[in-house]
Amino acid sequence: MNIRKVAKIVALFLIAVMVLTACGGGTESGGTGPKASDLKVGVVCSAAGQNDTGYNKALVEKVKQLAEENGFHAQIVEPTSGVQNALETLAADGYNLVFSMEYDFEALVNGVGGAKPIAEQFPNTTFVVFNDNPNVDEAGNVKHKNVYSVLFNINEPSYLAGYLYVLVNEEQAKLFGDGYNMVSPDVARVAGFVGGTNSNGILVFGYGFVQGMNDAAAELGVKYEYLSKNDAGFSDPALGSTIAGTFYDNNANVVFAAAGVVGDGISSKAKEVGRLAVQVDANLDEQQPGYVLTSVLKLTNVPAETFVKALVAGTLDQLDNLQTFGIESKATDITDLSVIEKFVVDKEAWAAIKAKVDAKRQAIGSGSLKVVNVQIGETFDPALCPNVVIK
Amino acid sequence: MDLLSRILYDMVYHTTPILLCVLGGLFAYKAGVLNIALEGMMLAGSFIAVFVALQTQNTFLIYLSALLVCAVIGLIFAYLAVNKKGNVIIIGLAINMLVPAIASFILQFMGVPNLTAKWVNPVNFRFDIPLIKDIPYLGPILSGHPLGTYIGLIMIFVASVVLYKTRFGIYTRVIGESPNAATSLGIQANKYATWAILIGALCSAVAGLNLSFERLGIFTNGMTAGRGFIAIAAIYCGKGKPVQSALYALIFGLARSLAINLSVFAGSISALFDIIPYLLMIAILAVNSAYEIRNFRMRTYW
Repeated sequence: MNIRKVAKIVALFLIAVMVLTACGGGTESGGTGPKASDLKVGVVCSAAGQNDTGYNKALVEKVKQLAEENGFHAQIVEPTSGVQNALETLAADGYNLVFSMEYDFEALVNGVGGAKPIAEQFPNTTFVVFNDNPNVDEAGNVKHKNVYSVLFNINEPSYLAGYLYVLVNEEQAKLFGDGYNMVSPDVARVAGFVGGTNSNGILVFGYGFVQGMNDAAAELGVKYEYLSKNDAGFSDPALGSTIAGTFYDNNANVVFAAAGVVGDGISSKAKEVGRLAVQVDANLDEQQPGYVLTSVLKLTNVPAETFVKALVAGTLDQLDNLQTFGIESKATDITDLSVIEKFVVDKEAWAAIKAKVDAKRQAIGSGSLKVVNVQIGETFDPALCPNVVIK
Repeated sequence: MDLLSRILYDMVYHTTPILLCVLGGLFAYKAGVLNIALEGMMLAGSFIAVFVALQTQNTFLIYLSALLVCAVIGLIFAYLAVNKKGNVIIIGLAINMLVPAIASFILQFMGVPNLTAKWVNPVNFRFDIPLIKDIPYLGPILSGHPLGTYIGLIMIFVASVVLYKTRFGIYTRVIGESPNAATSLGIQANKYATWAILIGALCSAVAGLNLSFERLGIFTNGMTAGRGFIAIAAIYCGKGKPVQSALYALIFGLARSLAINLSVFAGSISALFDIIPYLLMIAILAVNSAYEIRNFRMRTYW
């Protein structure tokens, strides 16, 4: 008799779950009022999901906001059965524009399992992919007109972060009061870098940072050491904390974290020892206020706006298939430094540093200053950075 | 800190969560109910600790809540596995999948990617032991760690004593060896198995809060990063004996520590240290089982 009861309860529970899921799906849709447009925009999130520190979140929020303003339908998908399925479903459902956030392009551009590429199957859907340009053949020609690649010049803000660090480090006695435990430049000048994986997508942060450090160090006539660990993974903050601990013990005053949540552990360690961290992707200055010098921003809401506006205006086909967003588009930058500023003692010295960083930002934006970008195949030559010793 | 002290300190840092899971989990192993949910229980402990730390700065409440929640998960596991004779692998797997899913749900509900208790500064949880902290090389191993680490170190002795010198320990081992024989002697097998699982759950809670709350003051989903499974491997290699299993946990900690600390000098190649424990484990298990099979053949002329 018990089993029947249990079976009944389970059945009721399952029905409840189904009803709830159905409702949940319904609330995802864009505006509730009459639609001014029949356009449909989809976002396929990466594994981190839409509730991440910023990479998915910034784009999702922008798309939702634009959907409300322009009255089109927006669908956010956190794929549970692969990116390929999600893309196919959205495209088959007649979506006009689909953002694919995951670093996974094979099914879209080349097709897998003998199937035609998704881009070819659904020529009326425009796809946008990020962080790589898979949509070219060996000769460099565009494969599918309806696939757009977005690249971010994160080397540029990384340069600014490195430049800023050296200036700040040299003035540390004036800038930082009690609660900090910095190594004086008279003793050692060191910076650390922790990367998630040893690939160009991660190294680009570090090399930009080195170049920035080098230029500042050359201006001041000093030499810096650069320590790095590029295989920290993206998931274990305790690992990040101990790696950062090693770097801080080796006299680093800053550790630059480009390794997902491993970076959370690095900020925590920075607070523990009273030194600084630099974070990436989103504005994480508030993570441990006063101990995060700045964050290297990669704002996905900027390309989202570009593409959605082009879609609404019907000018998508005028866009180039490779879109690069750099510091001049405000899609990549360092933060406005307002959080660390509250902890700075000597505001005058601080203003001077900010002005110098601003000048470099202008120089990069205008194109007069080039920062090496290994993500697009350039090579980094340590010989060009004589003021930084790379260990 | 010089390099060697640093390596030893980090070794203890990375050993602690594994060690606690090992020492808690081996009771269930000895009782014949393999607890593969250590990973999930540890994650629950780390989540609850930081979650409560966001609401209150009362350390006692934080510890208590992590222990309570893990005890509840342990009881659920015990009820299904012991009383209902369910498949422990499936139940454990369910817990391992459920905990991060619930954590992720709550995080999404709160609208944050991970939890940061900003008032926590790990320095404040560290205890320096006078005199011992000045002894070279022994100092960084025994001093300057948070409470959870000391619990882990003490547990090595506690587990040895409980398992071999008390009635509870003997009964626990007996029901693992032969549950029917134990029952025929009037030992309440279910009761002892449940307690064995509960000990594992409570130790996992301490492991989790050591990892998240005491050491970092932050929680990120999936931060246990497979440590619970490493603990299971260590229990197996040590055959559930407290000191031997603890040594395996220590090997993992040492390898991790070497991989981190030597990277400053050796670069990425130092990541190779991370494979040492696995190589060692394969070698030891292979030699062990080869030896056992040989004995078995000799006795039975098989």
